[in-house]
Parts: sequence; structure tokens; C-alpha cells
Amino acid sequence: MKRSELISRILIITGILLAVGAPLFLWARTPLIHARMAEDGGWNPDVIQAEVGKPLHLKITSDDVVHGFAVGQMDMRSVDILPGKVTEVTLNFDKPGIYAFFCTRWCGLNHWRMRGTIEVSGASTDPQPASVPLYVSLNLDLDAPHDAPVVPTGKPSATSGQLLEANLPIDQSADYYRSHSPYEVFESLQNTSLTEAQRWDTVAYFWQSNTTPESLANGKQLYAQNCAACHGENGAGDGVFADDLAEAGEASMQTMEGAMNMVMQVPVDFTDPRRMLGASPALLQGKILRGGMGTGMPMWGVIFTEKQIWDLIAYIYSFQFEYGN
Amino acid sequence: MNRIELTRIPFIKNALKSRYPQLAVFIVMLIGYIFAILAGLIGTPVGSHNFSIVFVWIAWWAILILVAVPFFGRGWCAVCPIPLPGEWLQRGAALSPPDKRPKWLNLRVPKMFRNIWLQNISFLLLALFSSVLLTTPNITGIVLAAMLFAAIGLSTVFERRAFCRYLCPVGGFIGLYSQTAPIELRIKDKQVCVTCEGKPCYNGSSAGYGCPWDVFPGGLTKNTYCGLCMECIRTCPHDNIAVNLRPFSADLAKPSTRMDEAFKAFIMLGSAIIYAGVLLGPWGAFKDAAYNVSSNSWFIYAIVFLAIIFVILPGLFMLGILNKKNTLPLKQRFASLSTALIPLGLMFWVAFSLSFVLTNASYILAALSDPLGLGWNLFGTAHAAWQPMFTSILAPAQTLALVGGLIWSARTAQKAAGEVKVSPIPVIIYCFIATSLMLWLLL
Amino acid sequence: MNPRFSLLLLVMAGLAVAFAPLPVPAIAPQERTFEIDAHQFAYSPSELKVNTGDTVTIQLVNTDVVHGLYVDDYDISVEADPGQSATLTFVADKPGSFRFRCNITCGAMHPFMIGKLIVGRNDWLYRSIGLASLTVIGFFPLSSFILKKEERNVA
Repeated sequence: MKRSELISRILIITGILLAVGAPLFLWARTPLIHARMAEDGGWNPDVIQAEVGKPLHLKITSDDVVHGFAVGQMDMRSVDILPGKVTEVTLNFDKPGIYAFFCTRWCGLNHWRMRGTIEVSGASTDPQPASVPLYVSLNLDLDAPHDAPVVPTGKPSATSGQLLEANLPIDQSADYYRSHSPYEVFESLQNTSLTEAQRWDTVAYFWQSNTTPESLANGKQLYAQNCAACHGENGAGDGVFADDLAEAGEASMQTMEGAMNMVMQVPVDFTDPRRMLGASPALLQGKILRGGMGTGMPMWGVIFTEKQIWDLIAYIYSFQFEYGN
Repeated sequence: MNRIELTRIPFIKNALKSRYPQLAVFIVMLIGYIFAILAGLIGTPVGSHNFSIVFVWIAWWAILILVAVPFFGRGWCAVCPIPLPGEWLQRGAALSPPDKRPKWLNLRVPKMFRNIWLQNISFLLLALFSSVLLTTPNITGIVLAAMLFAAIGLSTVFERRAFCRYLCPVGGFIGLYSQTAPIELRIKDKQVCVTCEGKPCYNGSSAGYGCPWDVFPGGLTKNTYCGLCMECIRTCPHDNIAVNLRPFSADLAKPSTRMDEAFKAFIMLGSAIIYAGVLLGPWGAFKDAAYNVSSNSWFIYAIVFLAIIFVILPGLFMLGILNKKNTLPLKQRFASLSTALIPLGLMFWVAFSLSFVLTNASYILAALSDPLGLGWNLFGTAHAAWQPMFTSILAPAQTLALVGGLIWSARTAQKAAGEVKVSPIPVIIYCFIATSLMLWLLL
Repeated sequence: MNPRFSLLLLVMAGLAVAFAPLPVPAIAPQERTFEIDAHQFAYSPSELKVNTGDTVTIQLVNTDVVHGLYVDDYDISVEADPGQSATLTFVADKPGSFRFRCNITCGAMHPFMIGKLIVGRNDWLYRSIGLASLTVIGFFPLSSFILKKEERNVA
């Protein structure tokens, strides 16, 4: 064989080996967490191991649409996971346990199913007994009907209520607010000289005084990001996925396995006074923490902090009450 | 007609005659091609950030349809990496001139396949799945690999480049449109070829291989089947092969009479119109139908696609040229007059591609730095944002291409009509209607 | 007619069709609001018509994943999440036909998620078809002339 032929062959074979080998080698050395729509598999991998005190570096990419990444009950800003791009995240855990990570940008009807867990091992530096949520200590039945038998004719005004509220027999503790529905408070004012409308205004003021503008703003943001797609931007249960949920629910009812499958339901209408004025904050807390159990309503317990849930609840009541400044 | 012989320039001639520059280009192209296959298979499934999609369907396509085909004809075929591994195996050499023993089976391609119907079919097969192919790196990777292996397989069974000549889905339309290009490879003096003994340009010699494209250069009258591989420049003992610069569309003066080529013109014309409507139009239902392969709506899409190409477009054309007085058979008039659709189709594709390419060219920068979507930043351009370019000149450029194509086609129709002694008016009106439709879809 | 003269005439007519200023109908600018529903891979409505000078507000409501809306040539865009609609307001001061498209990767067919905004009259389309018609007209006398000559030759 002539030398030129030999050199050409060597060049060709080296070139081919390089073109195949180099990308394969580099690809194998770059472990990525892939984000896909829940229908296509969600997170892969969806279980990540970590250790207390050791920073956890993650490289995350999306294989289809815009997703987001955040770890539940942690004080972190969620990051965007963009299609075809790699986002790097570093996490630090100071307590062992199982953490949930989840998608923070809506990616379809099943967005909220896009969750995974981080198993953090190691010794706890700060042993803290987990506190029992209020709805558990109150022993509330989350699925019992709770409609208010009487509702106001218009939206009660907190501003009007403020003028009436002085010296009324309302327990001002946070626990009283959280464990009573607006209707119950309305009832407790029965023996006063106020008219029905005035009593409702007073309740509205009482609800407003149990929150702050910051909490409401925070709740509003949480609501927009996590709830509005189903419950509607204005709380009317008419979010962009409401129809899809109803459709999916009907479809699953029609199969033999209907009972086993997800029975989707129409999202709750937060502007419905009967439903909302009969619900105490503790009851709403329970519903949010636990989720809808087989409906399209996710379980938020592993995601939101306790404060976030109270803020969210405060905001949800604002669909019922006219708050002043 | 006036031609300028480029091979008279010693630098060009030596560069074409020597095997080294070509081999160097081949190796680079092959590495790029294999990398594209791999990127498609292991890289991010997001098309717009995967090297395979961005480099094949944006960068390569732009270069092919906007530059290579209109100006260099089969210039792409001259550097295409797909047939190389097969050809090297077939020859048993990458660089050396041949020994005389045939390698492998070396069969002749059966006569019934020696036309471009297989290429028409292979193009249509890809065209019907194009929405998936264009957007799914996996599928692009598999198709690229399949073409490479099909070429290898055919090289081991048949003689010469059977894949390029008879199967390549791209080669068919490059060949058709290469007739419009201002570049050609031709012999200088017919008499030299007539008296030439052994015809080494076709049969090969110690200086090089017989025409891989199964063409006798002495008989070349059009670019369609000459792959510009430059083998005959090396083998011709009489220095009788020239690469010429010539007027645009010189080959179209002599219209073809082949039905396979006539239908290729309709296939390309029809696909350009359909893509302009489906991919660039505002109608979501068409896109869903084109993308959801094997759904019912996709089957309807496929049927409509094929009906437009094989029934509606040729049918209307046929109606236009029905003329009982004419003595020539309708089939011959049909084949000859469809030559007029060649410049039109090419310019339709140019206009369609301009829109797609100028909008998405900015993906090239990001894909260059992070070809697999693994978070690399090789050239610092990984975070280049998507940004359409030159959108303000797009509409005038498309008008120029489409109206220019219409003028070009009308001129071609006149010549072709002159050959078969009919009025070109129906063909010109047909081209006008098609152009108006395309203008409406794109502007 | 002298062929050179007729060619010159054609070119002049072509230039006139391409560049002659057209009367712009005087319509008082309005405020227009469109609610556009975006989903994989289409907008609905996907064709918007406004008059030149109108103040256009597009409210983008996504019903599946994150999408955007970028208007060609105007070079403006908006992005929205499902449940968090967003609005884009601009003055449609450039007449013509413009594509608007998704600028947030939203799945396979994302590059083809396209709609059309027509501001005023789509003059460029009419001018182009005018130019194409002129081409045909230009070829008519020429063609019949060549044909007659050839028929004479045949005879």
C-alpha cells in the first residue's frame, strides 16, 4: 500500500472514531436531570440522594417545554429549566429527611404531578419535633359539606366593618380566626344591635385585620403561580384547565376502572360565598395540605411552608371580601 | 452560447485534479455528518438546540437551496459525505487509483430502476413525515444514519454510486434544479471523445475511476446526472473535460421528455406550496395533522398531499395543454412543457426557505457552542438568544424570488413550447396562478 | 411595436406597480383588544386585522404550557404562563402583513407556531401579484409573435 493511501486511511479512521467517541465520552460524563411533561415521564431521575452538610450540585435540562425547579418547604427561589439548555443548581441541606422537588412553571394539565424527591441522609443538627397542623388538632373532617346557610347579598366591605367593629365581642386571637368560618363569626354577632349587612362587614374587617398587605401580596403571587391555571385568575373556578379537568373526569368515570383512575373534578369556585364563608382557615389549610385525594387538586403539604399556606388562604378569602387599605 | 472555461485557470484545474483537497473536504464532511447522527441520537430532544436539526435543517438547507443549488448545481453532491464509506469499501481504497479487480458484487442496477422514480418516492416518503423529521433530533439522526448505511449497502451490491444516482431523496431535486445553475461539466471537443479509445472516463484507468455516476461525459447535455465528482478530469487522457461558467438555466433550452423528471418538477412545486401553507401558515389544524403521524388527520393530510402532487397539479397542467390539433403525443408535450416548472419550483423553494431560515438562523450560534444541549459553551455563543433576522427585507426578497421565478419560467415555457410547437400561454398562466398562490401564502 | 420599447414600457410599469405611492385610506386610529388563546402549536384567533395607527392590545392566554408571542419586524414580544395571562400593547404604525410566532420553545412544532397580523391593507401582496400579472401580460404579445413565426416556419 502506498504511503498516501495508508495516511488517508489512518486519517479517516481516526476522524470517524473521534466523531463517534468524543461526543459519547463527554455525554456519558455529563449526568443531567431531564425534565419532561408529566405525561412523558416527568423528572428523570426523580429520586436524588444527598447528604447533610454537603452541597448538592444539579444540572437540569428540559426535553420539551419550559419547566421550573424548586424544592418544597425550602427558602429558595425557583429556577427556570429551559428546553435544550442546562440550568445548574446548588442545594444545601441542614436537616436529613425526604424533600420534594417540583416543577414551578405550568406545563400542562398534569403539571403538578411533576414532582420528585431528594433523600437527604445524615445526622440532624437541630432536632425539632414536627408540629401537628391545625386542622388535625381540631379534628376537622375535610370532606364534610361546610356550606354557609346564610350569605350576604353583596360583597362585605372591610372598610365599613372597621367603623363598626369597636368593642364587639370577638376573640382577637389568631387561633380563633383560624378555627372559625366567616359564617360562624357572623353567627356569634347575632346578639348585637347590628344589621345583617353590618355583621358581614364586621366579619370582613375581622378577616382583613388577621392578615397584612405583605401576606396578601405574597398569597396573590402564590395563587397566580400555583392555583390560577385551574381555579381561574379571578378565583371563579374557570381557569384554563377547568374544561380539561371536567373532560378528563368524565372520561375516567366512563371506564370500568373509573373508580381506580383519577376522577377529575371541576375546580372549586372561590367566588361562591356559600362555600367559602362556611369554611374556616383551618379547613382550607387542611384541604391545601392534603390535596383533593383523587381529584385534580394536588397535595401541597410537601411544597408550601406553613406561612405560605396562611398567606394563600388570606388571599383566597379576598375573593369574598372587599378589603380596604 | 458563451461559456467561460474555469478549468483553464491552473489553480482551479490543479485543485480539481488532485485527490488531496477533495479528500480533505470529504474527511471534514464525514466527521460532521457522523457527529450530526450522534447528536441526533444522544443530544437533547429539543430540535432547536440540537446540532443535528440546526445544522442539517437550518444551516445545510439554507446553504443548499439558497446558494449551492442555484449557483453550483450539484456542487453539494461533489462534497457530500453520504456515499463515501460505501465508495471506499467498493473501491478498496480511499485515495489510490484502482486496481482492476472488481470488489464485492458489482452488479448493474436493473433497468427498471434506472430512472428517478425511486428518488421521487424516497423524497415523498421523507416529505410526508417532514414535520416530525424536521423537529425531532432522534428521527433526523436515524434518517441520516439510514442514508449512510443504505449507501454502503448499495455500494457493495451494485456498481458505482447506485445510492446517489437512483435512491438519494435529495439528489433527485438537486439534479433537476442543477440544470438552472451557471456551472457545468462538459467535454471540450466532441471529436476527441468519438475517437477516444477505451473511454477511460467511463471505464476507469490507472489514473482514476470510471464515472461513479454512470454517465459518459462525452454524451453530457445537461447537469442532471453529473455529480461533479471530478473523476473524469483525472481519467481523461486527452484533457478534454472542462468545468464551465455559463448562463443560468442553459440546460432548459432542450426540454426533457422523461416522465420521471416531469413528475419530479411537480413533486417539488407541490411540496413547496404545501409547506408554505402548512408550516408557515397560521392554520394550527394543518400543523397538527402533519405532525401527528399515523393519526386519522395525518392520513388525510398524506392523501391530500399526494393528491395535490400527483392529481391536482399535473391534472390542471394537462388540461391547460390539451390541444387536439397538435400532432405530438400529449405525454411528450406534458414532459417537455413541465420543464417550465423547474425555475419556478426552485424559486418557490428559495422564497419558502428564506422565511424559515432568516427566522431561525440565530439557533446556529447557540447550537455551535452547545451542540448536544449538555450545557457546554465552546465558542461563548451558547446563550445567544433566538432573534429573527432581516424580517423587513423578507417580503421584498420573496417577491423578487417569486416574480423573478415567474419571468424565468415564462421564458423557459416559451422555449419549451417552441420545441413542441404549441402556445406557451396556458403554461405561463398556470405558472402565474401557482405564483399568486405562493405569494398569498407567504406574504 | 419596437420590442426594446415595449420592454422599457414593461419595466417602467413594473417599477410603478412596485413603488408608486398608493392612497392610504384615512381611518381614525382605534384601540383594539384581542384575546389570543395559545396552545401547542397554534394561536386562536390566528389572524388579526387592524388599521394602521391602531393601538393594539393582545392578551395572551395560554392553555397548556408556557408560550410567547413575538411580532416579526415590530420586534416586540410577550410571554405568559397558563393561569397568568399577559398583555402586549403597541401602536401598529407599520402597515403590511406580519407573522407573529412563539418565541418560547414549547415542544416539537414550536418553530411553526405562527399567526398573522395584517396592519392596514396588505399592499405588498397586491403589488407582487400586480408584478406577476405584468409578467404574463408582457409575455402575451411576445409569445404569440414567436408562435406565429414558428407556425409560418412549419407551413
